[in-house]
Amino acid sequence: MESVASPETSLYHSSGWNVAAACIEPLHNIMVAATEVVLTIDLPYVDQKQVKLRCPANDILEVYADTTRKITFRELGAKHRHGEFTCYHARIRIPVPVDESRINKHFKRGVLEVHLPRLR
Amino acid sequence: MCEPFNYSLILHEHWFLDQLEGCVAMSKRLSEKDGFRIVETSPIPKKAVMINGLPDVGLVGLLAASHIISSLKLEEVGSLESDLLPPMIVLHGGIPKSPVRIFAGESLVVVISETVIPVSLLRPLANDLVEWAQSNSTELVLSLGGMAVANRQDIDAPKVFAAISERKLESRLNGAAEVLEEGYIVGAYGLLLRRCAEASVPAITLLTQSYYNYPDPVAAGASLNAVNRILGLSIDVSELLRRGEEIRLRSKDMMHRTQEELAKMNKAHEYDLPPLYG
Repeated sequence: MESVASPETSLYHSSGWNVAAACIEPLHNIMVAATEVVLTIDLPYVDQKQVKLRCPANDILEVYADTTRKITFRELGAKHRHGEFTCYHARIRIPVPVDESRINKHFKRGVLEVHLPRLR
Repeated sequence: MCEPFNYSLILHEHWFLDQLEGCVAMSKRLSEKDGFRIVETSPIPKKAVMINGLPDVGLVGLLAASHIISSLKLEEVGSLESDLLPPMIVLHGGIPKSPVRIFAGESLVVVISETVIPVSLLRPLANDLVEWAQSNSTELVLSLGGMAVANRQDIDAPKVFAAISERKLESRLNGAAEVLEEGYIVGAYGLLLRRCAEASVPAITLLTQSYYNYPDPVAAGASLNAVNRILGLSIDVSELLRRGEEIRLRSKDMMHRTQEELAKMNKAHEYDLPPLYG
């Protein structure tokens, strides 16, 4: 699986930290099964009501999620770096055709799970 | 022409090889020596339990071992050095350190790595650690790792499994983990366990149900509860669980790098069905 490069790519730090948009790219995983594609996304500090999904193209799933509070590099132990983030953002390429109108999601223990039925 | 590394040895072993073959054989010999140097900065306790916390599935071992070090206030007593590790150091308290370090208390030694060990170094690491464990008359090698499960989100209390180097260690588990009878273990812990079995060093590898590529402090907590039961310790895991979200975020980049190395070592092989014949 690959994340899709966005116009802001050059602003990203190696940790997927978009300083301009105050966003961070979350860890995610994708599994292609016989009948569906299952995506999981790790979203610590997120309330499920803040999770937004959209499909800007047939083969792309975009995930936005505001964090429950502002998080700084400093509190994560990186005193030499300045910056903060308030949301997660990921653009994930779906490797096979799916029916995005039948998207199904659930959020548990800070991990979002998305099911996308495959087109036949 | 190449200069012999150890002239008498090379000549003795490769007397009948021509010059080219001799050079190839010698370079192989040199590379075999490129393992780990174990540097001891303080006395290492003898007959201790050695706990390994290397980056692995869900970072279970790394998170659990870090918690042991801070909870028991273990002292740094040494490091593992290799020219083949990524060219990096870690700063702790403003001091440059090796990313692979050794901590110890009265009867406990903890080896922890803050960098992903490249696949090519896993075998030398296993061999050198077991040799070092033998030299310290290590009583037990206890490695902590994760076992990825697809439905991790639905599991309240991750289960702990154990792979053991010899059958009599089953009683040592004290009911803390279920013994794995069949299957594959890919990576450093598999090699360590096998090397320990060959060298008659008692070894247990604890594998706790966890996420594959998300840091899993809850699984680390379950692993620590098993360690408590096996070693008769009482390490409090509540702080680890309370700081779960922070830990997941702080270890995000480490998990990302670990995942890349797990893919290289074909970690998914572990989820194949067990071999047909024992």
